Amino acid sequence: MRTLTAWIDQRVDLAGIRRTLLDRKMPGGLTWWHTLGSATLTVFMVQVTTGIVLAMYYAPSPDHARDSIRYLETTVASGALLRGIHHWGSSAMVVLVLAHMIRVFTMGAYKYPREINWLLGVGLLFIVLGFGFTGYLLPWDQKAYWATQVGTNIAGTTPFIGGALVKLLRGGSQLGAATLSRFFALHVLLLPVLLGLVVLLHLALVVRQGIAPRTAVLEAGAPERTSDPEYAGFYNGSYSRSKAGGVPFWPNIIAKDLIVAAVVVVTLFLLARFVGAGLEAPADPSDTSYVPRPEWYFLPFFQLLKLVPGSLEAAVAIGFPAAIVAALLVLPFVDRGSTRSLRRRPAAAGALVVVLGGASLLLGAAARDEPKGGGAAGLELGSAERSGRALFKRQQCGSCHLLAGETQEKKADAPDAPDLTEVGLKHSGAWIHSFLEDPARFHPDSKMPAFGPPTLSHQEIEELSRYLVTLRGPNGANRQPEFRDTFPEPVKPKE
Amino acid sequence: MGCFPAFVPDSHLPFHRPSDAVHSTSSANLALGSEMAETIIEDVGELETPLGRRGFLRWVSGACAAVIAALVGVPAVRALLAPATAKPLTDAWIKVADDTALLDIGTPVRLDFVQNQADAWIDGRAMNSVWLYTEDGDTFKAYNGHCTHLGCGYVYDKDRKTFICPCHRGQFDVKTGAVLAGPPPRPLDELPVQVRDAAVYVKYHDFRLGVPERVEA
Repeated sequence: MRTLTAWIDQRVDLAGIRRTLLDRKMPGGLTWWHTLGSATLTVFMVQVTTGIVLAMYYAPSPDHARDSIRYLETTVASGALLRGIHHWGSSAMVVLVLAHMIRVFTMGAYKYPREINWLLGVGLLFIVLGFGFTGYLLPWDQKAYWATQVGTNIAGTTPFIGGALVKLLRGGSQLGAATLSRFFALHVLLLPVLLGLVVLLHLALVVRQGIAPRTAVLEAGAPERTSDPEYAGFYNGSYSRSKAGGVPFWPNIIAKDLIVAAVVVVTLFLLARFVGAGLEAPADPSDTSYVPRPEWYFLPFFQLLKLVPGSLEAAVAIGFPAAIVAALLVLPFVDRGSTRSLRRRPAAAGALVVVLGGASLLLGAAARDEPKGGGAAGLELGSAERSGRALFKRQQCGSCHLLAGETQEKKADAPDAPDLTEVGLKHSGAWIHSFLEDPARFHPDSKMPAFGPPTLSHQEIEELSRYLVTLRGPNGANRQPEFRDTFPEPVKPKE
Repeated sequence: MGCFPAFVPDSHLPFHRPSDAVHSTSSANLALGSEMAETIIEDVGELETPLGRRGFLRWVSGACAAVIAALVGVPAVRALLAPATAKPLTDAWIKVADDTALLDIGTPVRLDFVQNQADAWIDGRAMNSVWLYTEDGDTFKAYNGHCTHLGCGYVYDKDRKTFICPCHRGQFDVKTGAVLAGPPPRPLDELPVQVRDAAVYVKYHDFRLGVPERVEA
C-alpha cells in the first residue's frame, strides 16, 4: 500500500495536492454558518447516490412510472427508504442552498473579490430548483401531474414566446408521455452534468480565493468602496493576516463541515424512515376536482399568484421571477460599499427582512389554504367511488353538507347538516346506503330528502355510499374507523 | 448525532466557559451558537488525551463520514443488490398439448405456450417453448426449448434425427437429451411431465445457462 502511494506520488505529486487542498490555511474564527456550502455538497452527493439506484427501478412512461415506483417501494429491499431519502434530500438541497445564500448575503461575502462565485451560486440555485420541478413530475401521480400542469401553464403566460415555451417544456401541446421522458432526461442527464460542472467551478474558486473571513477582518481601515483603486491592496493585506492567524483546512474545518453534514443526513434518514415520500393515486387528467399543489418551496410564489388580480397575473407570473433573477445577478455590481457587517448595511438588512418575511407570510397563507385532507385523502378511488363522487356533486350534497377539500360553497340559507369530512370513520357503507334511501326512518325529523328510487337507483346509492366511506379526513389512511351504526327498529306490519 | 457526546464525559473540563476566555468575539457575526461550538473544539484542544487536538478532529471527521456513508450507502447497496437474491418464480403446471393422440410418435414436436408472468412492475406474458418426445404415446419427455450452451432455440434435424442448435452447432440426443457434439456443457434440461385426461402438462423452468451443473437460473 505504502509503495503504491509512493509510486503514484512520484508521478502526480500527491503531497502537492495535499498542500493545496487539505493543508491550506483558513482564516480564523469561521462560524458554523460557514459549513452550509459543504452540507449542500454532501446532500448533492446523497442525491446522486440514491438517484442512480432509483433510476434502475424507474420507467419514464405514463403507463408504468407509478407502477415502477410502487414496485420499488413494496418489493425492492430498502426501496422505500431510498426514495424517502431522495425525496427529503430535494427539500434539503433547497433549504441549504437558500441558507448558504443568506449566509453569504449577510456577511457581504458576495463583494470583492467573490462576485463571480456569487453569480455561479445564483446559477446553482436555479439548477437546484430545476431539479425540484422536473423531479416532482416523475412519480406520475395526481400531485405530480397537476402541479406540472400548473407549472408549465405559468411558463405559457410569458409574452410573445409563451405558446412556444409551454410546448417546448411539454414536448408537445399536451402534458403527457413526451413530457415525462423529457423531464426524466433533464433530471437525470442534463441537470446533474450542469450542476456538477458549476459546482466544480464554484469549489475551484473557493480554493483559489479562500473562504470569506468574518466581516470584522475586512472592515477595519477599509476604503469606502470596493471599487476604490486601493481596495485590492487593503483586501490582500487583511486577508493574508487573517489567514496567518488561521487554522488548516484539514482536519479543523473539515471536522466541523462533516459534523453538520452528518446531522443533515441523519435528519434525512429519519424523515425517510418515519415519514416517507408518499405516492398518490395515478395521474387522472379527467379529474378536475383535484386541487393542484406545487412542492412547498414553490408555494410562496404560487400563493402570490393567487393574490394578484387576474389581469396582472401574467405580468407577475413572469415578471416576479425575472425580477428576482435580475436582482440577484446585479447585486454584487450595484452594492460596492466596503461595509460587510449586516448591522451597518441597513438597506441590505431591510431587503432581507422584506424578502424572508414576505416569503414566510405567503408560505403561511398557503399552508392555511391547504385543503384539509378532504376528499379521499390517501385512499385510491376505484371506478364505483369515482362515480359516487360525481353523484355527490350532481346531487349538490355540498350545498348543505360541509366537506373539507371540496370546493363547493355552502349555501347561506341551507339547513345545517352534518360535516361529512370524516364520515367514513363513523359509519359503514351498509349503514350509509340504507340511510340515504330514507333518512326519515333513522331520524323522523331529519331535513334530509330521501334519495331512494326513483330519485337515485340502488346502483347509484351504492356508488355514493362507497364514495362516502372513503372520506376519512386528514391522514385518513392511517386511521381506523370506529363505526357508530345504529339501525332503526324494523317496522312491524300492522295487524 | 453522537460524534461529540461520546468524548465529552472523559474530559473534566467545563462545557461552557465565558466566551472571552476562548477568543474575542467582537465582530458582529451572526453565528448563533458558534461560540459554544468553538468552545467545544478549543476545549478539546487543551485536553491531555493521547489523541491530541488534531487526532480528535480526525476521529470526529472519520466518525461523521462513516455515519453519512452508512446511512445512505447501506440502503443504496441493498437496493442495488436486491435482484441478486430475488426468489425464483414459482413453477406451475402448464398445459402444452390438448390431446396425446394428436402427437407424433418417434418424432419430437416443439410446443410454444404463453405464460402470464409478472415482469417487475409490468403484468406481462412470457412466450416459451418445450420439445416433447414420445416413443409409445404414453410416456413423454419434455425438454426446455433453450440450448444449454447460451440459450438459443434449437431445432430438430430430420435427417440425422438429432436436435441441432444453429448458433454453435451443438447436438443433442432426442431420447435422452445427452450432448452428442459441440460446445453445450450439459444435456438438455428435462422438465417434469404429467398426462391428465389425455392433455399434456409441463412444469416449465429455466436453468442457468453455460454451466455444467443444472442450477436455478
